[in-house]
Amino acid sequence: METLITYNAVHHNPWGTPITIYFWLVGASAGSFVLSAFGWVFGIKRYKPLALSASVLAIGMLMIVPVLLIWDLGKPFRFIYLMLPGYWHGTAPMAWGSLLILSYPVSMFVYTYFVIKNDQKWAKIIGIIAIVLALSTHWYTGVVMELNPGRYINHTPLAPLLFLTGAFISGIGLMILVLWIKNFFMSEEKKIKWALMEEMAQYMMYGIVFDCFLLFLDFMQTQYGTASENIGHHEVLMNIFFTPYIMLETVIGLLLPLVILCSPLKRTRLGVYGASLLVAGGVYGMRIWWVMGGQYMQSFY
Amino acid sequence: MSSENKHESSTHHLREYGVQTPGTKGIPGKRRYSMVIDLRKCIGCMSCVVACKAEYGVPLGVWRTWVMVADKGRYPDSRRIFMPRLCNHCDYPICVRNCPTQATFKHAEGFVLQRYNRCIGCRTCVIACPYNARHFLPAKRTNNNLPKLVVDKCTFCIHRVKKGLVPACVQACVGGARIFGDVNDPKSEVAKLTAKEKVTVLKPELGTSPSVYYIGGDWEIMDETHNYKHRSAQQKAEFNTFKRNHHGDAFADIVEGENTMHHVGKNMSDFLASIPHKFHDVVAALKKLLFA
Repeated sequence: METLITYNAVHHNPWGTPITIYFWLVGASAGSFVLSAFGWVFGIKRYKPLALSASVLAIGMLMIVPVLLIWDLGKPFRFIYLMLPGYWHGTAPMAWGSLLILSYPVSMFVYTYFVIKNDQKWAKIIGIIAIVLALSTHWYTGVVMELNPGRYINHTPLAPLLFLTGAFISGIGLMILVLWIKNFFMSEEKKIKWALMEEMAQYMMYGIVFDCFLLFLDFMQTQYGTASENIGHHEVLMNIFFTPYIMLETVIGLLLPLVILCSPLKRTRLGVYGASLLVAGGVYGMRIWWVMGGQYMQSFY
Repeated sequence: MSSENKHESSTHHLREYGVQTPGTKGIPGKRRYSMVIDLRKCIGCMSCVVACKAEYGVPLGVWRTWVMVADKGRYPDSRRIFMPRLCNHCDYPICVRNCPTQATFKHAEGFVLQRYNRCIGCRTCVIACPYNARHFLPAKRTNNNLPKLVVDKCTFCIHRVKKGLVPACVQACVGGARIFGDVNDPKSEVAKLTAKEKVTVLKPELGTSPSVYYIGGDWEIMDETHNYKHRSAQQKAEFNTFKRNHHGDAFADIVEGENTMHHVGKNMSDFLASIPHKFHDVVAALKKLLFA
């Protein structure tokens, strides 16, 4: 007969929905910005018409982030401590993140300015800096929970990759939806071409395949890993967080769009817009199980 | 320094980054306050919990120290076992490494302490602590002079230790299960006990080098995964009741067996409701300044 735990103090899980939304917003912002950089930084000229819309979308989403993060602090007015010499703590992932969240939007603003000015040279230089900052900002969101060895579900080096891939596909998904809406208000010659949207959907499909592969790797790790990883997967993710993990992320966010984008539906507007909507929403499921699921098991300890 | 400690220092040096004071365990001439908990003597009276609550005015729903209870075996060969818990005052504390504003720090004599005036209430340290030893103080407190909306934790009663007293939980322990002292002093009781008895620590695999040692520890109650897998129906019910009744502080509290997405939404509304409390002190100060 094994020991049965009859009483223990119950603990709160400190990070909640605002943090999940923040992770989703930063990801979608980074993904949109990558698309914006296709034309001006990587020299793929057919992407230039959407560069401005993509960077404005990326900036817009990132503007919500400080509000969420600062209001989530117990002492919102002390957020400045994160950047003050004498307070700043170099070993803390959140300290790196605060600098990234500050510098990323600044670089995006400058990049967007040069895009509007049609200055190819400076748009490319600043764009390179901005894209590194965009990826780093989202890399940090994966790392900030990964570097906690006591949180077994989060403590995997796959974390930043899972976050970045989710960012890439949700960013493209959102961008396609924004361009679709934008096209209603544009004259015929300024409308974004359907062929370009199809191409973006193709990139999204590659991202989905890679995301499925990463999830499979994570699944293998939990099956062959320690008891903590195994129980964390079976009893927390597959049970308590079944809706965000299986239904929202895996089925709605990955499998359904993959089926659509592998079928003849990918040539239809309904198929592409539908898949984009599903991916953009489904990736939020990953943010939920990652943040809340990672904290759940330990709240009983 | 023993050869074992030398080995520990050399293998753990990378972990010392971000820890303001290097680990002092086994270093001659340095104090290293530690606690030994003899589980054979613990009767589960919870005096330590009450003493701690009284000493610091710890709010309802959070704990600096608490006692876990488990039932082992089957009637008639069954017994009830207890395990007091508190901050482990690790030599390589993850909470200190991950705190972005150096609000939490490692004292030279082994205490892991919290500076309320530096804490921004981001709760990173709560996420980082593998022992659940940290808690977030609520916005509303009975005594308004006590800190609010920052993270708090066990201090090993440093204010008492500096006056030559033992921590409140140690003084209140009726069974003499909690023993406190300088583990670097070979004459101290904790040094003698850790040398003589077979002691265990919580989650040794994380390499945090805790300073709370258990004598007679049962691996099943000490193991987090076992705890989760073998939680009783009573504990599940208590957990759900607790999670339903503690709102307003923007925590990710999910009630087991209910729709997760419903609680995700509820958590967001709790977050929105908590915002005015966070600005309350500043608004009150501004009002005073403008309308005094």
